[in-house]
Amino acid sequence: MASTPSGTHGGMADFNIHHGFIEALIRGMRSSFLADSDYHHITQCETLEDVKLNMSETDYADAVSDLTVLTPSGLQSAAINKLVTEFKYVRTQAVEPLATFLDFITYEYMIENIMLLLKGALSGRDINELLAQCHPLGMFKESTMRSIPTFEANAKGFADLYQTVLVDTPVGPYFAMFLQESSNAMGGEVRNVIEEVEIEIIKSSLIKYWIEDFYQYVQKLGGETAEIMGDILMVRADTNAINITLNSFGTPLNEPVMRTSDRKRLYPAVGHLYPAGTHMLADVSTEEELGKVLDLFPQYTSIWSVHAAEAEMSIDDAFYERDVQALELAFESQMHFGCFYAYVKLKEQEIRNLVWITECILQAQKDEINKFVPVFSSHAPWRSSTKAR
Amino acid sequence: MSEVPPTRMNQQVFKGKKKAAESGHKLLKKKADALKVKFRDYAKMIAETKGSMSSDATTAFFSLTQAEYAAGNFKQKVAEGTLTARVRVGAGIDNVAGVKLPVFTPYETGSIADNQSLGLVGGGKKIVSVRDKFTVFLHQLIKLASLQTSFVTLDEAMKVTNRRVNALENVTIPKIQNILDYIDRELDELEREGQFFFSRVTIAIHYHCE
Repeated sequence: MASTPSGTHGGMADFNIHHGFIEALIRGMRSSFLADSDYHHITQCETLEDVKLNMSETDYADAVSDLTVLTPSGLQSAAINKLVTEFKYVRTQAVEPLATFLDFITYEYMIENIMLLLKGALSGRDINELLAQCHPLGMFKESTMRSIPTFEANAKGFADLYQTVLVDTPVGPYFAMFLQESSNAMGGEVRNVIEEVEIEIIKSSLIKYWIEDFYQYVQKLGGETAEIMGDILMVRADTNAINITLNSFGTPLNEPVMRTSDRKRLYPAVGHLYPAGTHMLADVSTEEELGKVLDLFPQYTSIWSVHAAEAEMSIDDAFYERDVQALELAFESQMHFGCFYAYVKLKEQEIRNLVWITECILQAQKDEINKFVPVFSSHAPWRSSTKAR
Repeated sequence: MSEVPPTRMNQQVFKGKKKAAESGHKLLKKKADALKVKFRDYAKMIAETKGSMSSDATTAFFSLTQAEYAAGNFKQKVAEGTLTARVRVGAGIDNVAGVKLPVFTPYETGSIADNQSLGLVGGGKKIVSVRDKFTVFLHQLIKLASLQTSFVTLDEAMKVTNRRVNALENVTIPKIQNILDYIDRELDELEREGQFFFSRVTIAIHYHCE
């Protein structure tokens, strides 16, 4: 039996040789998620001191004990640091191909950090302040990060920046593709791209390349991972496409000229909506047209109807619910890498929930406090049918 | 009192002064009353605006929380972007009952929002609603600031006017009145002296003629 890791990760027979221990770790960590009773206790708290008391009985006890006074932002950074510690521990235990898979997960945060550093450099902010605001999961070599803002904000500066700095980072290729595509579209001026194009659009393009790249990698791994992660990434890509279209109404991106040139370029080349759906989405200019396009795709009609009803939930909440449902399912089967991605994303959702609850308590908005999506909850709408036994 | 020679001319002069002072006093009193009315109006408007502002503030900040739930931490992205003001405050002067009060008016500079594609991949609607709610809050803030500066200036002006009214009432007019009384008395006495002298002279002449 070969013990050197190869490109694929093996199926039921040999997955556990290289990845059994780590998967067991992740499944152990799965039990650290806050349960319904924890959420219930925390939402009943009147002050943030009570919240701190309740949190010390959950898995967050260490993270919270360091905070003298609990604030929503303090809680958020403590929780994120806890997630990063756990992730780094798992990462150090991992071998190929799981190691690359875990790295792919961090690229998303790297992209965000790079954009933050670039934008901050343009506005001339202090490098240390910027580094403090970077997402810890997306940090790369400190020397590289420090050198990003030192480049001059002019034409030659950016070309240099790309060639010396960005090309070394794992997300370099995405930048290359983006600059290539923009220079083709804008007629040759590579350097002004970063200045003229809005930072969000650059980020959306990079995320698009990342999703496509991740999807290719996952397909190469084959087996259950290709199936489950493929599905998760397709849903992610579709969510992005729908959100970009929906949120572009009323902004310059919705102009007919911009729609085909710029907005279409932001749609990822994976997903249920690709290629027919994204082609139609590129021509959509109002919400009704968007609704008509989505009617053709049954898995998104329910989400769209939530948005159209404009009742209590917003479309973002509907997407979050759909995501949590899909990610929880990733834990239901074994012998694939989906549970690692799911763990990071579900932890993120939990952190979002905690920040939401503490903010509601702080701002005395108790009637809104239950508008979060709990993770692994037995009261979740998709589980209620199994309760009657 | 001793500096004013008690002549008829001075009597006329001071009578004129008294009339001027009294009419001035009446006008100032009218101005003080008008200012008092305006003062009460401003106080009421300030109380109303403050009341509505507290609810506006909570909705604005809560919509920010909702947007952060949907779109992640976008505060840094906004802070790092180019900050050109979209709404500016113009300072103007309003004339109220003769008092020049400063007023602030908001006006749009028309510069396009830099971060229009902020919530592109999620939370866009919430960010738009944050923008709207904070704009409402901002307008309330400007209104309140304008009202409060006007209020303070109005207060100053009212104090000054009241001081002048009181000064006229309790110092100037009584002083003039005292001078007038003195002149009257002196003139009376002069007349009496004159009469007395005249009567003594006529008695002396009669005595001599007999």
